[in-house]
Amino acid sequence: MTRVSRLRVRGIGAFNVLLGLATALGFGLASGWKARSSLTFNPVDLSASAPWHVGTLTLATAPADLVLGLVMVALGVELWIRVPTRGVMARFGGVAVVFFLALLLWAVRTTGPAPINFVNVTAVLVGASALTMVLIFGSLSGVLCERAGVVNIAIEGQFIGGAFVGSMVASTTHDFFFAAIAGGAVGGLLGLILAFLSLRYLSDQIIVGVVLVTMLSGLSSYLNLQVLTPFPQYNTGNLAPNLPIPLLTKIPVLGPVLFDQTGFFYLMILLVAVVSFGLFQTRWGLRVRAVGEHPQAAATVGIRVVGVRYANVILGGVVAGFGGVAFMASQGQFQPGYTSGLGYIALAALIFGRWRPSGAVVASIIFGLSLYLSYNLQTFQVPVSTEVLGMVPYLITIAVVSGLIGRVRPPAADGVPYRRD
Amino acid sequence: MPEGRRRWWHHLTTQRPWLVTLYALVLGFVVGALVIITTTASVLDAWRAIFSSWSALGHAIKLTFDVVGAAYRTMFTGAVVNPRVFWHAVTTGQGWTYALTPMSETLTYAAPLIIASVGVGIAFQTGIFNIGANGQAILGGVAGAYAGSLIHLPTFLHLPLTLLAGILGGVAVGLIPGLLKAYTGAHEVIVTLMLNYVVAALLIFTLLSTALQQPGQQNDISRTIDPSAQLAPLFGAASGLRVNWGLAVAALVVVFAWWFLERSSLGFDFRVTGANPQAARASGINARAVIILVFVISGGLAGLAGIVQMAGTTHYLDGGFLIGNAGIGFTAITVALLGRNRPGGIVWSSLLFAGLGVGGRAMQAATGIPLDLATVIQSAVVLFVATPVLVQEIFRLRHTEAGEVRLATSGWGS
Repeated sequence: MTRVSRLRVRGIGAFNVLLGLATALGFGLASGWKARSSLTFNPVDLSASAPWHVGTLTLATAPADLVLGLVMVALGVELWIRVPTRGVMARFGGVAVVFFLALLLWAVRTTGPAPINFVNVTAVLVGASALTMVLIFGSLSGVLCERAGVVNIAIEGQFIGGAFVGSMVASTTHDFFFAAIAGGAVGGLLGLILAFLSLRYLSDQIIVGVVLVTMLSGLSSYLNLQVLTPFPQYNTGNLAPNLPIPLLTKIPVLGPVLFDQTGFFYLMILLVAVVSFGLFQTRWGLRVRAVGEHPQAAATVGIRVVGVRYANVILGGVVAGFGGVAFMASQGQFQPGYTSGLGYIALAALIFGRWRPSGAVVASIIFGLSLYLSYNLQTFQVPVSTEVLGMVPYLITIAVVSGLIGRVRPPAADGVPYRRD
Repeated sequence: MPEGRRRWWHHLTTQRPWLVTLYALVLGFVVGALVIITTTASVLDAWRAIFSSWSALGHAIKLTFDVVGAAYRTMFTGAVVNPRVFWHAVTTGQGWTYALTPMSETLTYAAPLIIASVGVGIAFQTGIFNIGANGQAILGGVAGAYAGSLIHLPTFLHLPLTLLAGILGGVAVGLIPGLLKAYTGAHEVIVTLMLNYVVAALLIFTLLSTALQQPGQQNDISRTIDPSAQLAPLFGAASGLRVNWGLAVAALVVVFAWWFLERSSLGFDFRVTGANPQAARASGINARAVIILVFVISGGLAGLAGIVQMAGTTHYLDGGFLIGNAGIGFTAITVALLGRNRPGGIVWSSLLFAGLGVGGRAMQAATGIPLDLATVIQSAVVLFVATPVLVQEIFRLRHTEAGEVRLATSGWGS
């Protein structure tokens, strides 16, 4: 089940080697021997700082990036030679993290006597965690739908709907619990529409999904002008409060990233655990996967194929709706168009993660980091224009969807209408 | 019941494709009306007051019809013709420009939409979902702007060169998903969607940081293309009407597409591949070549649409080119679906959706109801068109043939 083709493993290995060489040469050797990079680890919110002193780490940029690049090369060579069948994704994730570290070191290098620039590792990870969380909600939604054989391309629309309604409810009730419920309900409703049209009327799932996204983006900017602009009290913009977990937040770096988060973050972790366990360890999961792989056979043993699909698509919609509210709660106000394709990137993360919750999490972390860095590298005075940086996450998505995974095997009945005959 | 009337009734209640489309349109406008009613404060206030008196109920009903009626009326007069103004022009011979402007605007907007939609439709007929038409059109516009503003030639060379540059710009973006799908199996939906964002960023980059930027400008605005590269107004500059020779280009594209799909052997290969990939492979059609060629043609047409839009109307690019509501490439998907991917159908659906867009702007100006309502109506119409059985059930249409399931797209695996 988790076997990966040798060719694909070798491909990932080769990619890692190339990326490592590029890192060692482009970031390492090219930055000159005098450059220094400083990393700090203190959280932005000082109340969460560690009880002991966490200092600043200053490294010579060139040797550091050279070493990091060689680590990536080594990981790639290992994949190429040993061709392991398990843990390939984890290794790739490791290489990606090392790459981002090298990129950051290179971005903040200074040649002057005193370090003017520095990168706050904790702040970067906290910032990226918000985007990662939204992507995980989206790709979990995709896992639920596609494992049951329905392609949910409307995740972007469910994000928009969840964010819109979530903002209205949060602004009026000042309570993110109700906002989450309302946003989840909207996502579920959109899932119901998708399920109704594609299961009862056998419409093309991809077309229905795309048109639902178009409709939601039109409807949300219509409602933004017609309702939110004249009544700004419905879109006051609230950031969800952080719910720090005592003691654990004091762990340097990991504490603020994992244990000083909003309720949505903990909900996301809970959902990942529940969906992975449910899908692979329970009867329910076995039925869902049977429906997604071979609906006729599933029907023969008495599983209600259409019922399972309805339930999963609606559930997936609810999860994506949560993602929309979570996005709104990390950004503040609702603005039309501000999800900027996150739903589609979540879909790519799902494919990259090979339709498994754990894979989707790793992929979402990579995408979340690269999205966050491309939005924010400009603050580190990187000599590349904002527009070019802005393309990077989308280009990575394309590279990942085409080169790295190549012909992946989705659930066999994914996107195929089922008709009881 | 008289014989003739019964036949008429029978016609309207028996399922056929054009009837389903017609009823889908009706349903789309009903959805639009519901959206207006539930979001307009004055209408909601009137309904809230209905328990206070009988007259309040009448007032609420009247206000509802007034508001919805005004919206759709201004949409019509803004997109087609205002009968009063038209009659005034007929009787006095004055003000023809004013009377014909709505129709001219609709045709101006329809020309590039027809071109892009034909491209998307050809891809759909081959079983390929090109959501990237917008990015392809943007790069077409950019490439055309380079050729039109930085090269100087006489018209008979310059205009064709500019259009060709636009086509090549679109082909360049279209080839990426084509090659990736053919050689690595990457699904075109994600690749084309992601490329839309890449090209949108590339547009801003070229406008800010390359020779295309208008000299002396700091903003994201391009040079104006030479008059020799522009698509001239169809009735001369003195007419004051913006409708231009882009309409002739669109007509040529429609004729080409009809010939290609119905008469050429390559077009036959395309349609076979779309209808039954296994059969196509068995009969020796090179699937890889078909995929790449589809994206070349589809992307090239989208690029042509982009340059026709720019060379026919603004004559320069800015950061808002084909962004948001002006995103021809996105509307083209819905237009192609409404027109059932056939050139003839696409002409009618382009005119309709162009009219909705142009009329929506007039509606926003006159009634304050946001233009985005047009997008809502368009997507509702297409949802109903994509679900013919639902329309049949709502209007209780009689079946003539068994409804067949035909998908325009395929899942991730193929």
